[in-house]
Amino acid sequence: MKGSIYKVLGLLLVAYSLIYGLLTKVPDLPLLAESIRNLFYHVSMWFAMVAMMAASFWNAIRFLGTEDLGKDRRSISLAEMGMFFSFMGLFTGMVWAKFTWGAWWTNDPKLNGTAITILIYLAYFVLRNSMDDARKKARISAVYNIFAFVMMIVFIGILPRMTDSLHPGNGGNPGFNSYDLDNGLRMVFYPAVIGWILVGTWIASLRYRLKALQE
Amino acid sequence: MQKTMRLLVRFFRQEVRNSNVLFSLGLYLLGVSYLIYLLSGSTPSDSAWNTLLWVVVFFGSVQLSSRSFEFESGPYFYYFQTIANAKHTIIAKILFNVAYMMLLSMATWALFSVFFGNPVYNTALFFIGLMLGATGFSVVLTLTSGIAHRTKGNATLGAILAIPLLFPVLQLTSAINLQAIVGVTLTDAANLLGTLVALDMGIGLLAYLLFPYLWQD
Repeated sequence: MKGSIYKVLGLLLVAYSLIYGLLTKVPDLPLLAESIRNLFYHVSMWFAMVAMMAASFWNAIRFLGTEDLGKDRRSISLAEMGMFFSFMGLFTGMVWAKFTWGAWWTNDPKLNGTAITILIYLAYFVLRNSMDDARKKARISAVYNIFAFVMMIVFIGILPRMTDSLHPGNGGNPGFNSYDLDNGLRMVFYPAVIGWILVGTWIASLRYRLKALQE
Repeated sequence: MQKTMRLLVRFFRQEVRNSNVLFSLGLYLLGVSYLIYLLSGSTPSDSAWNTLLWVVVFFGSVQLSSRSFEFESGPYFYYFQTIANAKHTIIAKILFNVAYMMLLSMATWALFSVFFGNPVYNTALFFIGLMLGATGFSVVLTLTSGIAHRTKGNATLGAILAIPLLFPVLQLTSAINLQAIVGVTLTDAANLLGTLVALDMGIGLLAYLLFPYLWQD
């Protein structure tokens, strides 16, 4: 019973953000108009993705310290979940970009960062599938996971701040946090982030148990 | 330190003995540069010049690194374990690759100057950018080719693993080089240079810490 509290909480928060996100009053901004509601669905995907990848990274470090294969299963399950969130974030972002910037894809540092992140983690899955011995697979892919996560943070967290971007908060554009993101938006956005992270953890834990049974 | 130096000397000797590798790399550079020359026909614009230079260096480095652990894999892996530990190996390998990739990028720059002219205005900045880029390349590629060799899998795995990881280094370096072409001064580019130095040092440290986990059986 105790273990299911976070699952129920996650589901409630996601349901709240999905439903209330469509009902709540949003600021009427030029260009963005009602599409600003996508903030709840698009941006929360990235927060959830980074949380999943960070947890995967942490489990990879712990695997190298303990040599416990359970940590490795956690690491791969969380990375798969993060991959799912990154695809969802990409699709919701593409729809948003089409309606606000006029194109499905633009040469924007954040979009490049996303593309690279997806390539990095696809390479991680390819690497895992190219080995048979469980212990060796776990060790080598943990090494790659740690290196890849650091590179991803550099690419999506540091480099975009040094170049211009269409996204808010970069390269002289007004940021959401300075004056765009009002408290009404926050009331839905933060619960959405927490809800998706909890649901992601839940699904990752299911995959973890499935992998443990398969082996 | 002494052990690292001895390993480094050993790697260089190995390379000299196996000189057809160096020769084939030179031939690749010459061939690709001339191919671009034939296809483009005219002098490319500054940004196209920079892009082409980096594409050539990029694939040259990936090709070069794919045989980075050629002599230390297979049955020799166990022999190698007895003569050197992982930390000395990774430092020596990275230093060796840094030297090799600096040579590669300088050679590409020279070839491009012959075929397409040299649009670089601030030579010192361009040189520093090239060297820092070669350092970052070699760190990432040494680690990923180590990973690829430990899997004993296909040869393309190293490239698949390395290419997305190289993009941050590549983007920063090419931004610095583009500034050098335009003629930005060293002090104005200090921000980018500092970021690249920090990135190189960070990934170098990470590779140093992670490699021992890779280099065991």
